[in-house]
Amino acid sequence: MAMITIGTIKRGLITFIRPSDVSLKTDRRIQFVKTIIITIFSLSVFIGVWWGLSLLIDTPFLPPPDIVFEALLDSFIRPDITTGRTMWDNVVTSSIRVAWGFALAFVLAVPLGLVMGFSKTVESFSKPVVEVFRPIAPIAWAPLLLIAMGGKVGPIIVIFIGVFFPLLSNIIFGVRSIQPILMDAARTLGAKRGDMFIKVIIPSTVPYIMTGIRIGLGIGWMCVVAAEFLGAVGGGVGQYVQFKTEVNRFDQVFAGLIVFSILGLSTTELSGWVERRVMKRMGLK
Amino acid sequence: MMLSIEKLRKAFPLEEGELVAIEDFTLDVKKGEFICILGPSGCGKTTILRIIAGLDTQTSGKISLDGKIIKGPGSDRGMVFQEFALFPWRSVRKNIEFGMELRKVPVKTRHETSQKLIELVGLEGFEDAHPHELSGGMKQRVGIARALANEPDILLMDEPFGALDAQTRNMMQKELLRIWEETKKTVVFITHSVDEAVFLADRIVVMGERPSSITEIYDIPWERPRERASMEFANLRKEILAKLEMMVRPE
Repeated sequence: MAMITIGTIKRGLITFIRPSDVSLKTDRRIQFVKTIIITIFSLSVFIGVWWGLSLLIDTPFLPPPDIVFEALLDSFIRPDITTGRTMWDNVVTSSIRVAWGFALAFVLAVPLGLVMGFSKTVESFSKPVVEVFRPIAPIAWAPLLLIAMGGKVGPIIVIFIGVFFPLLSNIIFGVRSIQPILMDAARTLGAKRGDMFIKVIIPSTVPYIMTGIRIGLGIGWMCVVAAEFLGAVGGGVGQYVQFKTEVNRFDQVFAGLIVFSILGLSTTELSGWVERRVMKRMGLK
Repeated sequence: MMLSIEKLRKAFPLEEGELVAIEDFTLDVKKGEFICILGPSGCGKTTILRIIAGLDTQTSGKISLDGKIIKGPGSDRGMVFQEFALFPWRSVRKNIEFGMELRKVPVKTRHETSQKLIELVGLEGFEDAHPHELSGGMKQRVGIARALANEPDILLMDEPFGALDAQTRNMMQKELLRIWEETKKTVVFITHSVDEAVFLADRIVVMGERPSSITEIYDIPWERPRERASMEFANLRKEILAKLEMMVRPE
């Protein structure tokens, strides 16, 4: 039997609510539960396959999941015998590196990108330099930078290089993507060049900056691994993974990989959440 | 007389020679007059409006507003766009206040003016809504209010209702006439709809194909609101349509 349609009067217009709208909330809740069940199922299958493979192949390079999870838990509770650091210490060290490298890139890329997108003069001057540097994989800088700047600052600069270029490109692209008609509208309302920059260019570039941040942070986590492999000073998850490979503790290697997965995933989720919040706050859906 | 356009010419340079878009366009618009510029698409009517707004420059000719030669955009002319061109990150109120912010109008005056305009265009209750939450008709109400907020002498409207459905369009035409009567602004309104022009204008300026200049000017001294079903409305519409058809060259 069809449900009764409910009508409301809003500003003299009658809007009808379809039965499906009424149950939208329950629909969404069911969908959410479904997603969780599927996720749990898919991860269980993955772990099952892993387990089977580790029993089948029987090699020290692929420890079974139970051993790995034990090593993972243990690494957080007990300080490492050789370094005296827990996994927490390593996570904090790596996170601080990513944060510094990212912050540095953000502070430089945002203003430079906005100005490069806006001013033809600045762009034609800086474009050749940027284009020469862009194709170099950030990791290629790592050995040199670690020797030249030391194990403390070096990794941060590697991350900076990794984050800087994608962020810059995104912002320049954002400025270029502004609808010309918005600039026309602003001009007819009396906007001069400076007003245009502050009141039109910057706000309409915000979504592109947010996307750049999300992409940049992902790359930041890739770079920190490389930098820590190549001799960062003071620990870090990358260094942990490398040490453990050298001493044949492959269970702990896998524990480190899982930590990387969780770190990267939560960073992406977090920046996605911030992105959605900012967009909503700005009224951009 | 307030807006004076004298021998306006606009040509775009090509690899060989030039493309003449507008040739010898001369028009005087009186204070408080409602002018519709009507013509087939591609006839350069939008270009004329953009030149008056100061967004484009003419190749030659002179445009003056109250005796002052127009050079670049200015807050003495308000523009309303077909695509609405609202700032999506600004609320209705903030969109309307944009021009006043630029002119450094004190916050209190800004609020009072925007509130009055919101009431004038009938957007009470939507002050804090963002453009993506509004219908096309409501968006254009914001567009009109935003242009009026700078207290321009003249309102330039570039097919403002072209993106609206027929019903909304008719309603917005009535609304615009009400706003025009309340504010007594001079209006230059671009359209390709004969019906719209006959419904709105004091004078209709009909433009021809490229290179276009004025083909004909129709005076419409009738009372408003005009009755679309009336004989004289239908006759004038037919006459102008015939004129336009004659001008459009067969392909």
